[in-house]
Amino acid sequence: MEDYEQELCGVEDDFHSQFAAELEVLAELEGASTPSPSGVPLSIAGRPPQMFEEALARGDVASRPAPAVSLGSSQGRAGKRQVDSDLQPAGSLPHEPQTLLRPPILEDYVHVTSTEGVRAYLVLRADPVATGVQSPLLHVPWRGGGQLDLLGVSFASLKEQVDGERRERLLQEWLKLWDLVVFGHERPSRKPRPSVEPARVSREATAPGKWKSHEQMLEEMLEAGLDPSQRPRQKVALLCGPPGLGKTTLAHVIARHAGYSVVEMNASDDRSPEAFRTRIEAATQMESVLGAGGKPNCLVIDEIEGAPVAAINVLLSILNRKGPQEAEPQGPAVGGLLMRPIICICNDQFAPSLRQLKQQAFLLHFPPTLPSRLVQIDPGVLAALCEKTDNDIRACINTLQFLYSRGQRELSVRDVQATRVGLKDQRRGLFSVWQEVFQLLRAQRRRVGQDPALPADTLLLGDGDAGSLTSAWQRFYRVLHAAASAGEHEKVVQGLFDNFLRLRLRDSSLGALCAALDWLAFDVLLAGAAHHSQSFQLLPYPPFLPLAFHVLFASGHTPRITFPSSQQEAQNRMSQMRNLIQTLVSGIAPAMRSRATPQALLLDALCLLLDILAPKLRPVSTQPYSTREKQQLASLVGTMLPNVEELCRFPELPARKPLTYQAKQLIAREIEVEKMRRAEASAQAQNSPQVDGSSPGLERLLRGSGEKGVCRPAPRNHEQRLEHIMRRAVREEQPERDFFGRVVVRSTAAPSAGDTASEQDSVERRMGTAVGRSEVWFRFNEGVSNAVRRRLYIRDLL
Amino acid sequence: MVQIVVSSARAGGLAEWVLMELQGEIEARYSTGLAGNLLGDLHYTTEGTPVLIVGHHILYGKIIHLEKPFAVLVKHTPGDQYCDELGRETGTRYLVTALIKDKILFKTRPKPIITNVPKKV
Repeated sequence: MEDYEQELCGVEDDFHSQFAAELEVLAELEGASTPSPSGVPLSIAGRPPQMFEEALARGDVASRPAPAVSLGSSQGRAGKRQVDSDLQPAGSLPHEPQTLLRPPILEDYVHVTSTEGVRAYLVLRADPVATGVQSPLLHVPWRGGGQLDLLGVSFASLKEQVDGERRERLLQEWLKLWDLVVFGHERPSRKPRPSVEPARVSREATAPGKWKSHEQMLEEMLEAGLDPSQRPRQKVALLCGPPGLGKTTLAHVIARHAGYSVVEMNASDDRSPEAFRTRIEAATQMESVLGAGGKPNCLVIDEIEGAPVAAINVLLSILNRKGPQEAEPQGPAVGGLLMRPIICICNDQFAPSLRQLKQQAFLLHFPPTLPSRLVQIDPGVLAALCEKTDNDIRACINTLQFLYSRGQRELSVRDVQATRVGLKDQRRGLFSVWQEVFQLLRAQRRRVGQDPALPADTLLLGDGDAGSLTSAWQRFYRVLHAAASAGEHEKVVQGLFDNFLRLRLRDSSLGALCAALDWLAFDVLLAGAAHHSQSFQLLPYPPFLPLAFHVLFASGHTPRITFPSSQQEAQNRMSQMRNLIQTLVSGIAPAMRSRATPQALLLDALCLLLDILAPKLRPVSTQPYSTREKQQLASLVGTMLPNVEELCRFPELPARKPLTYQAKQLIAREIEVEKMRRAEASAQAQNSPQVDGSSPGLERLLRGSGEKGVCRPAPRNHEQRLEHIMRRAVREEQPERDFFGRVVVRSTAAPSAGDTASEQDSVERRMGTAVGRSEVWFRFNEGVSNAVRRRLYIRDLL
Repeated sequence: MVQIVVSSARAGGLAEWVLMELQGEIEARYSTGLAGNLLGDLHYTTEGTPVLIVGHHILYGKIIHLEKPFAVLVKHTPGDQYCDELGRETGTRYLVTALIKDKILFKTRPKPIITNVPKKV
């Protein structure tokens, strides 16, 4: 270090002043004989980072949140240095250099590396005169009640390492789009971003790819601007992600920061459609009289995937209300436009009730955090805690707070294991359950944390050392919990059944397979008993089947799991076969039917029948067949009409010599032809017994049409067809049938009416015949005949 | 020069005939010919439209007043007449028997008459 300084003595910079603290530490390091005490027991020391209180006291918030200070991460050294210098103006720090050889978990720190490569860590302390820009997120009391600063957990470091910066910024920008409508002032032009921006841009540029990230798309959507009614295009924002990541907090914070007062509606409220509508309209169109200080309302709807679909439809209809100049005149009953922003929060973005909402909403996705991001050091207590809570930040922080409030100042692994953490209820997907059953995670062998479902009394068993149960038991309980929390037990079992044969088995005696099959039978018995006699106290037992499978089959490598379809296919096939048998049986004459029950038919007769029937047909066309072969074919076709072969195709029986493909085709074609012939024959049988009673007038009609150039034979076709039509028409006059189908014989009641009617009829008939039977015919000439010239000679006149 | 003598047949007024004009041909159904057969019926509607029924055709026509009336002439050849006082051979003479001042024109396509319509077609 000294050499370096000597080399640079000509160069003037503020290196010394900037890095005064570090230099001091370095000097100390190299001068010190023994390193400072290491392995500091983790302390949940109650020294509040005063940043929070300062920010609270100041109440002075930057209008645009700079990205939260990324302390402790080694991203941009320049940014860090700047913060550094902000927080530690030279000389004003009380010098208690807490140089640690390991980075402190709970406090902000900065690392310093000496020339030998020794790295030391400095604890940063808050400064009353700090002028650095703070994230506005910090000054909000944590939702879990009580101030976060009591815990000393660095909320900021936890929060920013979740990397929600960008998301928060997007949400805030969306909310700002409402400013024009709500507050009436123009949206400010985009100010040049702070200096961190180029770093981010460059980072983006280095990972190009053709696909835009979701955030980039969202940014573009934001830039799309407002729709004609001066509201943003997406009138509702939807935040989705696993529980405990800070979505609700984010919504509250951002809304409050933008100047709204937040009205929350969550799963504990009545969410029937009417109540929903009332509350939405109350929140967006009215202001509360007390409190709120004249701020407009912003509605935050939490757990929206649990709301009934009708309620979500109400929300959609409110969103889609158009202004009076656009919509059809419906009067004032429709209600006004939506003038306030709405933020919705859900856990599962693929819930079916949210489908329509998702299309119209500004969607922000919160991916689940990896444990490595939460804790940047090797797995310590916090890692255990994170694992136990399943990476749920809120649960972590609540647990810590809880422990602190009970008086505990030190946290050890034992404590982490022993506490019961309240987790939010969540449904596990089917595939994750199957994975859980079949796969043995490597990390599980070294598991430190424990399953929350572990009953407390097992923890207290035995001596202090046996507080950690064996990993096998941990797995046991974990899988059991997973199986019990999966919603559809039947689907889980079907998936297991479909997939368990694809795994690598460890023993060669197939004993595991037998055991598995026994378990499956047991499961069926259980389900049957439970539902048949409604003894639902048997229902805790079925989840043990996946557990048994896990014990029998779990191995280290990843199985490939497919969605179960074998049940469906088997059901389809069964119903098909049943239908076939039904049709076959129904075609049998009743005399024979008494001897041919479906079961007996299927099992005894049909297969052998097929053998008897199968002729040896040559694979050529029918023409060159000898008569005998034709006979055979005809008889085969006659008996073969229903699809007997399908029925007889049992997979286990030895395959008898099946008919060749050509033979099958031949037979099929013959069957079709035979069917057609029979259909025609039956249709013809209906046609023939009608007497030909065509009227004479009909013929005259056809023949005397008098058109030029109509040749003689043509009317005959006409005739035929018309006669046919007439005949058919007459034929359809069926005698009346009463309710039972008997023919009604009309008795001759009212004879007088009948007589006059018949008289009139006869007169008409006579006239008709007279008309029809005149001896003179008139043939019309088409065209105009004004000028017809004829030659006339005088000698004809004389 | 050729002279054709047209003279009136009777001293009194001449008959008035009406000309019926059809656009087409009249045929006999049987081979006996048209002579002596009934052609059809001529009726007049209340508005005065003539209606002609021939066989199973019905024709509608209209009455047209002729601007140049026709005269019906009957030819008389000398062989049949007595000789004139002058002793010359009398040539053919035409005698007017009737005058035609109106005609009835049927120029539309005839409509068929259907008498036997089945109840259901």
